[in-house]
Amino acid sequence: MILAGVRGIYLREILILRRKLIKTLMAAAISPALFLLAFGYGVGRGTQISGVDYLAFLLPGLLTMSSMNQAYSIATEINISRFYFKVFEEYLLAPIQRWEIIIGETCYGITKGLIPVLIIGLYSLLTGVTLSFGPLFLVALLLHLTIFALLGFIAAMIVKSHSDQATINAFLITPMMFLSGTFFPVEQMPMAIRAVASIFPLTYSTQLIRAALTPGAEVNLALLGTLTVIAMVLFLIAKQIVARVEL
Amino acid sequence: MSCADALSCNNRRCEIEVSSLSRSFGNTVAVDDISFNVGRGELFAFLGPNGAGKTTTINMLIGLLIPDSGEVRYHGQQFDPKQLAVKRLIGVVPQHNNLDRELTAAENLLIHGRLFGMSGKQLHQRIDTCLAFADLTAKRDTPTAKLSGGMKRKLVIARALLHQPEILFLDEPTVGLDPHSRRKMWAFLRRINKEQKCTVFLTTHYIEEAEALADRVLIIDQARVIAEGSPQQLKQSAGNVVLDIYRDDDICNEFFADRPAALQRLEQLDTSVRIRETTLEDVFLQLTGKRLEP
Ligand SMILES: Nc1ncnc2c1ncn2[C@@H]1O[C@H](COP(=O)(O)OP(=O)(O)O)[C@@H](O)[C@H]1O
Ligand SMILES: [Mg+2]
Repeated sequence: MILAGVRGIYLREILILRRKLIKTLMAAAISPALFLLAFGYGVGRGTQISGVDYLAFLLPGLLTMSSMNQAYSIATEINISRFYFKVFEEYLLAPIQRWEIIIGETCYGITKGLIPVLIIGLYSLLTGVTLSFGPLFLVALLLHLTIFALLGFIAAMIVKSHSDQATINAFLITPMMFLSGTFFPVEQMPMAIRAVASIFPLTYSTQLIRAALTPGAEVNLALLGTLTVIAMVLFLIAKQIVARVEL
Repeated sequence: MSCADALSCNNRRCEIEVSSLSRSFGNTVAVDDISFNVGRGELFAFLGPNGAGKTTTINMLIGLLIPDSGEVRYHGQQFDPKQLAVKRLIGVVPQHNNLDRELTAAENLLIHGRLFGMSGKQLHQRIDTCLAFADLTAKRDTPTAKLSGGMKRKLVIARALLHQPEILFLDEPTVGLDPHSRRKMWAFLRRINKEQKCTVFLTTHYIEEAEALADRVLIIDQARVIAEGSPQQLKQSAGNVVLDIYRDDDICNEFFADRPAALQRLEQLDTSVRIRETTLEDVFLQLTGKRLEP
């Protein structure tokens, strides 16, 4: 059977996701709701950013950030399956190519990353903000989710324990959430932070996804190229790492 | 060198040949220059205390760890985990019951089958067969988190058998089971060996397990092989008959080739003495100066 590994791994992840779907949906709904209340209605009420209401600026940022978190969260799941339940061994023992594991898990990360789209879509209705979900958004989102699922996969492969995983999250994901333009435009930050933001992939995907979602906004299509290159580089790194991984 | 003319194989058809296998973790030498062969259809036990290097060895044989040096051959072909065909020959039951707890017994088997390229009716029939063989048909749709320890273990074994491997590796198959379940597991493993015609390679730190099950035993201690042979041969090399001689608070053992020799010695002793058959426990004690049982 073609790509038996990719399909087997994806099936396993989806069967498990189905069992905990309600819990996953609720968890995914809470954090953007809190950010929306604190920043959208608290700090940012009545302000305008780049010519749009702050809420209309914030929602696309929250969508990008939440879907990043979901796609990246496969890191923790793979980590638990590797070091605690050791189900990951089943993948290593199966007669499949190692890169099939990357693709199966990345597809799962992408699937999880679509959950916030539903949730933020709902919030946009509740807040009366118009978002334009078009083909450009879809392409940008897929690239964005691929990048963060791959980052999650790589993180899960290079750590040696569960606590290492928490460290990586603290140094990589949390700064990205706050410095990549989710809550305020990167251009308004001090030079030093802008320099840091420029190495975060989230900065580029936030820019692109926000532009795609905002009706009438100007889209910098070169960002599609940037994201594609990042995704390809990450896949090659993942392939190198997974080829050598033991246990 | 083909397998058939490998002298060390004693003309048995050879399943696995291991030569000079070593692996360290940092400063810890986990496996040190180990060599042995496993014949087709054999029930082979790897016996040694905790930390001896059993799991590390199995993991090198199944491609989960890369050896620092030495080589592994299956059917005379050098083992390369990147070659997928050889992985189909192998079924693995790890030390830890690595089941997906949220998934049912049947779903756990389904995923395994898919990963091995099985599908459709053939896969579903195989799942039914393996569940029945492991006596788990009634638990087909039960999440594995709800199964007892013995059932989980059997399910992991059923899963390893799903793709009809030629060789089944079991790492400490009965650890954590109560004595009753352990005996039932032994019978189950014998059936796998005889009925499914599977070569069985198991590790254990229970002497009576190796003694009860194995055609051949390899004793490993502190990363090295210290003895090899059938339980019978091992006991014979130590001496078939042993005297437990009680001196003050101590017991000391003396070994003899046969009963008459032991009885002759017995007559010279004036302390209390017990005469009995040698066990593998005695063999281990004689070779290492320590007892194996935890
Ligand atoms: N991943 C590892 N990292 C460091 N040390 C290890 C690792 N795996 C095993 N060891 C060490 O190697 C030795 C052999 O371990 P193992 O093969 O698990 O023995 P056994 O299975 O016989 O109990 C032990 O000293 C153990 O601590
Ligand atoms: Mg072990």
